[in-house]
Amino acid sequence: MPTRDENERIAILQGTLDLLILRTLLFGPQHGQGIARAIQLQSDDELLVDHGSLYPALQRLEGQGWISAEWGTSDNNRKARFYKLTRTGRKQLAHETSQWERLATAIGRVLAGRKAEG
Amino acid sequence: MLRGRKRTESDFKAEIAAHLEHEIERLRSEGMSQAEAEGAAHREFGNVAQTEERFHETRHWMLLEHLYRDVAHAFRVFARNPGFTFVAVVSLALGIGVNALVFSAVNAIVLRPLPVTQPEQLAFLENARYNAGLSFPAYRELRDHNQVFAGTLGYRVTQIELESRGAGTVRTWGYLATGNYFDVLGVKPYRGRFFHAEDDLHQGGSPYAVLSYGSWQARFGGDPDIVGKTIRINRQPYTVLGVAGRDFHGTEVFYWPEVWVPMMMQAQIEPGNPWLDEPATSNTWVIGRIKPGVSAEQATANLNTIARDLARSNPAWNEGLSFHLARPGLIGDMLGSPVRAFSFGVLVLAALVLLTACANLTSLVTARASDRQREIAIRLSIGATRGRVVRQLLTETLVLSALGGGAGYALATFLSRTLSAWRAPLDFPVQFDVTPDWRVFVFAAAISFLAGILFGLAPARHAARTDANAVLKGEASGFRGRRLALRDVLVVVQVALCFVLVSACLLSLRGLQRSLTMHLGFEPSGVSMAAFDLGLAGYTKARGEEFQRRAVEALAQLPGVQSAAYVNSVPLSVDQSHTTVYPEDQPELRASTAPVAIFYEASPNYFATVGIRMLAGRDFNWHDDANAPHVAVVNLAFARQVLHTDNALGKRFRRGPRGALYQVIGIVETGKYMSPTEPDTPVLFQPMLQQYNTTTTMVVRSSLPENQMTEKIRQTMAQLDPELPLFSAGGMSQVLRFAFFPLHAAVLALSAFGVLAVVLAITGIHGLVAYGVARRVHEIGIRVAIGATPRQVIKLVLSKTFYLLGLGAVIGLGLALAAGKLLETVIYGSPRDPLVFVGVCLTMIVLGLISSWAPTRRALRIEPTVALRHE
Repeated sequence: MPTRDENERIAILQGTLDLLILRTLLFGPQHGQGIARAIQLQSDDELLVDHGSLYPALQRLEGQGWISAEWGTSDNNRKARFYKLTRTGRKQLAHETSQWERLATAIGRVLAGRKAEG
Repeated sequence: MLRGRKRTESDFKAEIAAHLEHEIERLRSEGMSQAEAEGAAHREFGNVAQTEERFHETRHWMLLEHLYRDVAHAFRVFARNPGFTFVAVVSLALGIGVNALVFSAVNAIVLRPLPVTQPEQLAFLENARYNAGLSFPAYRELRDHNQVFAGTLGYRVTQIELESRGAGTVRTWGYLATGNYFDVLGVKPYRGRFFHAEDDLHQGGSPYAVLSYGSWQARFGGDPDIVGKTIRINRQPYTVLGVAGRDFHGTEVFYWPEVWVPMMMQAQIEPGNPWLDEPATSNTWVIGRIKPGVSAEQATANLNTIARDLARSNPAWNEGLSFHLARPGLIGDMLGSPVRAFSFGVLVLAALVLLTACANLTSLVTARASDRQREIAIRLSIGATRGRVVRQLLTETLVLSALGGGAGYALATFLSRTLSAWRAPLDFPVQFDVTPDWRVFVFAAAISFLAGILFGLAPARHAARTDANAVLKGEASGFRGRRLALRDVLVVVQVALCFVLVSACLLSLRGLQRSLTMHLGFEPSGVSMAAFDLGLAGYTKARGEEFQRRAVEALAQLPGVQSAAYVNSVPLSVDQSHTTVYPEDQPELRASTAPVAIFYEASPNYFATVGIRMLAGRDFNWHDDANAPHVAVVNLAFARQVLHTDNALGKRFRRGPRGALYQVIGIVETGKYMSPTEPDTPVLFQPMLQQYNTTTTMVVRSSLPENQMTEKIRQTMAQLDPELPLFSAGGMSQVLRFAFFPLHAAVLALSAFGVLAVVLAITGIHGLVAYGVARRVHEIGIRVAIGATPRQVIKLVLSKTFYLLGLGAVIGLGLALAAGKLLETVIYGSPRDPLVFVGVCLTMIVLGLISSWAPTRRALRIEPTVALRHE
């Protein structure tokens, strides 16, 4: 089991968490704990998902109509609330992804410029 | 905004529990013990209770909290832009204030029903021939034979002499009302009881009175034991049966009577003119309560059947009689239709004012949005949804409109309270209650909200389309080209309207200035007067004539008095009488073609006392009495228009087709009689000694100050008859303020509307120019960069504005000239006064400069390096 000091993980910004949740759900319905695990695994444990923030975020996305939820049974036969991407959620994901990429590129450029100057 | 199903807290708890179980299972599969896994899972999750609380908050408080934050943010934005905020709030306050005020007046006069039981069942019976009144015999027929009214009441507005406690006897106004009056209306007395049908059966047999609440308070000090006491009306004892409710002012909205007396007392209340059995006198106003289930058409049909019976039985008086029903409160449709049409017109005008204010604010807010594009873009990129941003902007405008609406409502409340407390300078209880009620508040709140949405929606929609990345990277100025056609039209309309109102305002001010120096055909300064009615006071003709003579002799002997006289009524007072005139040498004249003249009955010395110049012939003297030949003095307009000669001395004419012949013995100058703006009007004077009139106005010219002289007149009259009530007492110019009241009212109203128009025009033009500059920052930057001079920049910015201003001014000029013609009846002055138009043009130029100053300066300060930085 890979262990890391928790302090070293990067805390996720609020707006970004939404994007990551939507992205995770692109692969199919998932419950809250599964989403958190998936984000952590896919980022090679770089990103820390604060479980306390996860559920309000899910709540918010559900409120926006981007995801929908219903109770179901998980792989290990436990009851869990499964979240699913809605049609508008899919659109929102595409939109936010492109926004994010442009912002990241722009910030990357700026930072690269700084470095060159420095 | 929370959409979707509601979620319960237990459901949320279950989800967290499931999460923890999953996590524990995972950790155990990685080799932890149950206890270790539980501990780790909980640590990882953090505070479960806190998360649940956050869920709770998102469910219940998100809306409120967002609202709070938005409002707080709005106030921070306002604090950073005090100028904008001030302009916005003031123009909204004016717009909403005007609307609320107009609405409260319309509410009071047209919308609010009479404060009686089921007012919607009441109908005013309108006599198609004479508009309002019915003869009393016709009323009786109608009351007894109709099948459609549950009750039919009759009433009559009348003046009375009322003896009040402490303040002596006063001449005031009341109602003669049929016995069933209060029962048909279904009102409750405040004290005691009202009179009923059985109290009003025999002529002269019901000396009862019901006091209005106001009269009870003002005249009798709110005496708690007033019921059953005897008061004196027209010097005769009447028993007070009760006091009416505080809100009940009778059956006409404008007229607030002090006393109700049973109709059978008519001969005592109106001495010398009994008409209860007179089919020729149509003095009774009638209101019926329609039976449930009867339609207005059925009622009208039934009433007109009775009208035809009346016409058959008494064709001389009732031929062609027919009825229709009207809403009670404004003397049927006689006052009702014009008042309602006028109210509607003013309401539309007020709505236009508000609409204009909203249009102006839209330009302003949109112009300002350019400054806020970066702010909005940043908010969007750090995770705010578009919905949140739109809500934020709408909150800002709604807060603005709430502030404006609050200020406007306060303004309207203040003004309408002043208006309600105000008494017209009339010898008549014209008053109405425009105090705002809940309807006005709801109306003001609704239009404030609507206004906020109206001028907030465009900028908010605009913001919703903002492309955050583009703006932050400086790829686009947020403004996409939009047609401004409607806004341009509105600015032209505003400028035109402003031009009209400012010119009307200046014209009325000029009229006011002229009226102070104009010649009225008499010299009111130095004249004091006091009026009384000998008929109400119970004097016979012989005693009355003797009293008049004694009074004028007593006054003439007072120290400081130059001359004294009496007359039935003075010019420019409310009481003016007309008659048809038949000159002896024009026998072909018929009732329809005979000239009409105003007539007065005057004592000797009247002309000298009030300062009317005698042009030819002689004044009346004390020998022109009943035994002497009938004589008359006429004014020059009478000589020219009626007798067709300047030298009318010796000519004779009749008053009425079969009246006695009067010989002209004197000619006086033509003056103003009905209003200061009237054209020359024929007037005739007869000696009061030959044509007795109970209404008497004593006039005295003296060297003493007018208020001192008035006091002496009061004392002298009190010695002659201590109980005789005086009215219209004071300096003559002061009493005649009524004649100039329309002028003063016009100056006041037009000034108010003028200021409103100027404020709106300034914000309108300012918004237009500011918007133009904001839209063209880049363009101007480029032009400056390639060498445009400040002059060229100014031209660029203002050319369209001045084109629109010019267009508005030309339209306004045309309208102002047309409006000036209308105003001629109210103001004293020519609508083509060049001074006024120079004034208006100057005002408009100054206005244009003020309103385009700030945005033009902004345009001049555009630094090409800054404006073009993004590119």
